[in-house]
Amino acid sequence: MTKGRKIGIGVSILIIAGALGYLALGNFGENLIYFYTPSEIRTLSPDYYGRKVRVGGMVVMGSLKVIPNTLRMNFDLTDGAETIQVAFEGVPPDLFKEGTGAVAEGYWDSGKIFHSNMIMAKHSEDYMPIEMKRAGVELPKKDFIKSLQE
Amino acid sequence: MMIELGYFAVITALMVSIAGIIIPVAGLWTVNNSLIRAGRQIVTVNFLLISLACGTLIYSFLMRDFSVKYVAMNSNSRLPVFYTIAALWGGHEGSLLFWTWILSAFAALAAWIHWKKHPATIPYLIAIESAVTAGFLALIVFLSSPFERIFPAPSEGMDLNPLLQDPGMVFHPPFLYLGYVGFSIPFSFAMAALLSGRLGEEWIRSTHRWTLLSWIMLTFGILMGGYWAYYELGWGGYWAWDPVENASFMPWLVGTAYLHSVMVQEKRKMFKVWNLFLIIVTFSLSLLGTFLVRSGILSSVHAFANDPGRGVYILIFMSAVLLFSFGTLIIRSNLLKTKIEMDSIVSRESAYLFNNLFLLIATATVFLGTLYPLLVDTLYGTKVTVGAPYYNKVFMPIVLIILILMGIAPMIAWRKASAENIRRNFLIPLIAGLASAAIFAIFGIRMAYPLIIVFIACFVSATIIIDLYKTSSYWSSHSGVSLPAGIYKAWHHNQRRYGGLVTHIGVLVLILGIVGSSAYKLEKTVMLKPGDEFKLGSYSYKFLGIQDAAGINWRGVEALFNVYEKDRFVAEMRPQKRQYMGGSQMPTTEAAIEPRRMGDLYLSLSEITEEGWITVMAFQNPLIHWIWYGGGIMGLGVVLILFKRRRRDS
Repeated sequence: MTKGRKIGIGVSILIIAGALGYLALGNFGENLIYFYTPSEIRTLSPDYYGRKVRVGGMVVMGSLKVIPNTLRMNFDLTDGAETIQVAFEGVPPDLFKEGTGAVAEGYWDSGKIFHSNMIMAKHSEDYMPIEMKRAGVELPKKDFIKSLQE
Repeated sequence: MMIELGYFAVITALMVSIAGIIIPVAGLWTVNNSLIRAGRQIVTVNFLLISLACGTLIYSFLMRDFSVKYVAMNSNSRLPVFYTIAALWGGHEGSLLFWTWILSAFAALAAWIHWKKHPATIPYLIAIESAVTAGFLALIVFLSSPFERIFPAPSEGMDLNPLLQDPGMVFHPPFLYLGYVGFSIPFSFAMAALLSGRLGEEWIRSTHRWTLLSWIMLTFGILMGGYWAYYELGWGGYWAWDPVENASFMPWLVGTAYLHSVMVQEKRKMFKVWNLFLIIVTFSLSLLGTFLVRSGILSSVHAFANDPGRGVYILIFMSAVLLFSFGTLIIRSNLLKTKIEMDSIVSRESAYLFNNLFLLIATATVFLGTLYPLLVDTLYGTKVTVGAPYYNKVFMPIVLIILILMGIAPMIAWRKASAENIRRNFLIPLIAGLASAAIFAIFGIRMAYPLIIVFIACFVSATIIIDLYKTSSYWSSHSGVSLPAGIYKAWHHNQRRYGGLVTHIGVLVLILGIVGSSAYKLEKTVMLKPGDEFKLGSYSYKFLGIQDAAGINWRGVEALFNVYEKDRFVAEMRPQKRQYMGGSQMPTTEAAIEPRRMGDLYLSLSEITEEGWITVMAFQNPLIHWIWYGGGIMGLGVVLILFKRRRRDS
């Protein structure tokens, strides 16, 4: 192979890799979705209002209000320290109910209400946002075994 | 006592595998044949011990021995026998044991099959396989034992996660594992070649079937996971770029690159280092997949373990594998220099090179999206996820390029393609592709991706048809038989090539299914009371009412729908909501799927109010069944290659 060909192959690989790298990184930033707890979202700077984020917490007992004959509902989400109001429109996943963990995707509107049209489908009742586990909000598995033995 | 026997078996197996790392290699160095032969006994004994361990666990499941913690956590007495056995791999600890069992089976098989042909490399193969087995056994014995007891024993177990109580979920993990673990054999052969310095093409030839088989198992495993997600999770899709899905997709991508680049080494003795690099990366990504899924650092369907100790252990284990394999590769690199160089950029070699390049870029894209959130969390404590739009935007252009290369590579000449070769092979396909894209555009397909895919599909199919026609008419005139007999002869004389081309057609069908079902998907969420009707596409759905439904260990309700196409009754659909009678509080959604000629009608029941209103999600997924057909055709292609008759002369 001549030197010219070698350079040709090298340059074409570089150009293609560069173009795809640009494509990948260019799309990366805007498709990052940040995850907050209710306490964190309360301290969010106004620049982030209206940006798509996720918020995770426990659905406060007694706060869930379904608006009859619509797909809309309101509920409160808490991390123990702070509580926020969520206005949700759509179909919640099977596991969604009061007193369990939930992750909602949407935007923090003017720092008052969290508007969401997607609640994460969680596939196992063991699942919960890791920081909630850390905070010890959910009964750990150990306690479950204990309850089985009683 | 049974479960203690199982525990004892894995501890013994751990010691046996450690012996398996040392003894065969020591035998090779001291030229002691009996030590080398002991290696073969070691992998066999190991397989028997781990089988025994799996056996005792299955026995405990079947005996409903809830004093075994793993049994109590993953089954109860109402669980059907079929799922009780499958519960072996239903949780973290058991699935690791199952992984290790497949590994030990493959190691023993490989040692017996390749014993005669590779006397100089087999000891290394046994050592490498034993080391990987020992790594997993140590994890099981010290951190993730499924043999633990709880005291006092509960009278009833929790349940197998209801979502796993489904045939799709029973077969999905074993197939994935067969794929992951299968790649350990080419990996061990590659390492054995490096360690022994026998770096010819033998190791690649000997592992050809292993590679193909692992690849198709991994393909099926991924597709089954997708199919399960489609009908069991009730969201109308089959792939969500979930980190755990990505974890199985990455080894598949690199494995595909490896599958292709080995052909260049077989034919042209090029890409030696590259092939070693690819197989090391493939197997490492299989381990990474296990790490991501089983460490619990990702929140997902599959990530059940939450013990950071396990994550750290698997991370150390993986680093050891990477350091050892890349270290050996670097040390041995002086033996890997070849004189042969690429003659031209317009040649089959370079088409393979670019295929590999793009597959690796695709892998890097997925890798970045999957691991970036972990990195950010570790460094800054910020939680982020990478959204599906990122993957969809970046991935599709790369896939298109790979597909075009898929059409070009098999038909372009080795070394240096002449202008004549290119015109002869690609002029008609190019015209066929453009013409069909134009026809589809006239008939109303206006979106860019579907049109490009139509072009590519017709271009690639045309190259294959023309090639098959030429070769079979050559054979039919050469040996004076009919054209169909010529096709048989063409296939018979080059099974590998035509098997590969069939697999390519499978890929095209699959991609058409993906593009069709995502570009022309229709969806609607509606609230209905009995008697209500709604329309989606050209179908109308009449909701008749709800009724009870029940199975052996679940109760539920189903909504009854009559589906009409232009006032003609076409189907009855019954989306269900189930509640399993185990410890689980979670209802599951069973979507109703009605396959029609052009795609699936799909109803998923979301909610039922006390007044009898229901919320239902309706989807129309055109061409979605092509995804599963495509997988089937890919499998057929692989079977055609695997059942290749050995040439008499070799």
